[in-house]
Amino acid sequence: MTAEVEARPAVVRLAGRAASGRSRGFLMALPPMVLIAMFIGFPVVLAFGFSLGFTGGLNRTVALIGQNVHAAHGLAPTFSAYAEMFTNARFLGDLFVTVVVTLISTVLVVLLALGVGLYLKFSGGLIGKVLSTLAVVPLFIPVVIASWAILGFYSANGFLRSVAAQFGLGFPVWSYTLVTVVIGSVWTSLPFATLLVTSGLQAVPQAMIDAARDAGASFWRVVVSVVVPMAGVPIIIATTFTAIGVLGSFTVPYFTGPNSPNMLGVDMSNYFSSFNQPQQAVVIAFVVFAMASGIAAVYVWANFRSAKESGAV
Amino acid sequence: MKLRTAFGAAAAVTAVALALSGCAQSSTAAKGGGAGDVKTVRVFISGDTNIQKLWTDDLGPAFEKANPGYKVQITLDLHGEHDAQTMAKLSASVAQKKDPGFDLVDGGFVPKASAANFLEPVDSSKISTLADIPADVVKAGGTGGIPYRGSSVLLAYDSKAVPAPPKTLDDLLAWIRANPGKFTYNSPKSGGSGGSFVATVLDKYVPADARQKMTVGYDKSLESTWDQGFATLHGLNPYVYQKGVYPNGNQQVLDLLASGQISMAPVWSDMFTTAVANGALPSTVKATQISGPSFTGGAAYLGVPAGSPSKDAAIKVADFVLQPAQQAMIVKGISGYPAISLDKLPQEVQGKFANADTNNLRKGYFDSMTKDLNNLWDQKVPGK
Repeated sequence: MTAEVEARPAVVRLAGRAASGRSRGFLMALPPMVLIAMFIGFPVVLAFGFSLGFTGGLNRTVALIGQNVHAAHGLAPTFSAYAEMFTNARFLGDLFVTVVVTLISTVLVVLLALGVGLYLKFSGGLIGKVLSTLAVVPLFIPVVIASWAILGFYSANGFLRSVAAQFGLGFPVWSYTLVTVVIGSVWTSLPFATLLVTSGLQAVPQAMIDAARDAGASFWRVVVSVVVPMAGVPIIIATTFTAIGVLGSFTVPYFTGPNSPNMLGVDMSNYFSSFNQPQQAVVIAFVVFAMASGIAAVYVWANFRSAKESGAV
Repeated sequence: MKLRTAFGAAAAVTAVALALSGCAQSSTAAKGGGAGDVKTVRVFISGDTNIQKLWTDDLGPAFEKANPGYKVQITLDLHGEHDAQTMAKLSASVAQKKDPGFDLVDGGFVPKASAANFLEPVDSSKISTLADIPADVVKAGGTGGIPYRGSSVLLAYDSKAVPAPPKTLDDLLAWIRANPGKFTYNSPKSGGSGGSFVATVLDKYVPADARQKMTVGYDKSLESTWDQGFATLHGLNPYVYQKGVYPNGNQQVLDLLASGQISMAPVWSDMFTTAVANGALPSTVKATQISGPSFTGGAAYLGVPAGSPSKDAAIKVADFVLQPAQQAMIVKGISGYPAISLDKLPQEVQGKFANADTNNLRKGYFDSMTKDLNNLWDQKVPGK
């Protein structure tokens, strides 16, 4: 700003430097962009074409190997693969289960993360630190191992059943049910959500809380009207990340879930390899992709809002 | 600033390099063909570590010892996770007439690759030992499949809980209904032992001529003969472990059996023998074959890619592993069944199969039929 007023040649020089900086920035961003376009973007376009029945060109091999492939005649796309899936009772059931599991897991994760974050913010102390540390532990345990552990823990001869049996009680068997899928999804998503939410809550200025308290607000009033709204953006980001993660999960539902109905991640793998119906697998992938895009739109909106608040846009 | 740019550039380059190398499967395969006077045969295995061990410890060294000037190089694709890519690679190599990167392949997709003409056709004029193998087994592998080992599914039972195991399929079905929660099998899509149980129950109702057609080829119209079998399987739901829980994978069933949660299950012969030997299964668990019909078994096939630059050497290896001494190695190393008939094997090896008729394994369905079977089972049996 001051440079503009004081010396005009400097402006030119600065502008020139900014332009070269911009092109350098573009060049530095180019490799990842090219990489994404080549190895992700291009295959996505190919797969989308395949799902619409374009079985020629680079899709020829997969169409040749796959069974039950719907092919388009000429240039007009066919939606028969989509029609097949959306009239398939198993797919519709699995779609429903996926949405329900995602909703329940996300709500649980956000509530738990908020609980830990609020405790740390308001009470702090040793318990708060221990809680927030424990919540991050699952990050360091591979999902496969955690899935097996959860499966064993809630199985017919698992820990809870054994303890309950000591007192003559019958604890339900949760292994191979959607309950363990929810438990596993919460376990894997909690660390990241806790990190995001906790740091968001910590960033709320203490002065605001004190001001609200001075005005006579109760604890819950402070939480609902001051703390959570001020940490709204990180909480929304944590929610979207959790939802997208659970939506596309495979390991947890594959190992701990029931045979049927199960989540779409498992379905995709089944259709692709076990049933050798790659086109149907791609259709499921695009359905999941569409749902994830809806959630991602919320994320983009939240990011935009936070950028606006900080004056970057 | 400069420093940061340099770091950024370095990071970008590393990212590209990492991403590129990450796409390739880990492989130590060098350039094949006649490098100098040493001929390298690159063997590609899509399977478990026991097959890798069989090749690296037994078959590979034995071949190199018997054939100086040859080298056998093993690449493993664990659990066949990249089967789709391997098939695509094969197809691309045939289309472009280029080296696919391996000369001999052992994997479940070999019959399919053979049907798509990606493999070099073989017959007993090229591999004389093929004549020792039942014609049906060879035919199910297509023109390019070379059966070289086998295994079958057996009924494992805990002799403490089940003193007198069922002898026929009907007895077994009656036992399952009489002992709710004590039997399960893995979903057919997740492993062959459950798949064999399903196929066996279906076969109870499938006419013999239809079954024969579905063993060697793909015919979707014959799938209606499965309806009765699927209805029977569906009827078992309330009597299966936890009222209809079918674990994912052969191993999970063995785990349930080991912890005593179930008392009976179909298992792979080789996995069962290995698990008892290393103590993963208690010694009270025994295995038997049922009849009427018996559980299916199957051959594992080798194939020589049509684009391989050293086909002759690869065929030499295939011929070598079909000879009695190497077949005995398969029996000892991985508790597999020999592909050639038992009477050609050493006496001590023959004794191992007192209870199993290795030459008369009841074949499974054709690969594409199996995929449809997996799909239909998923739709018709569990969770309802």
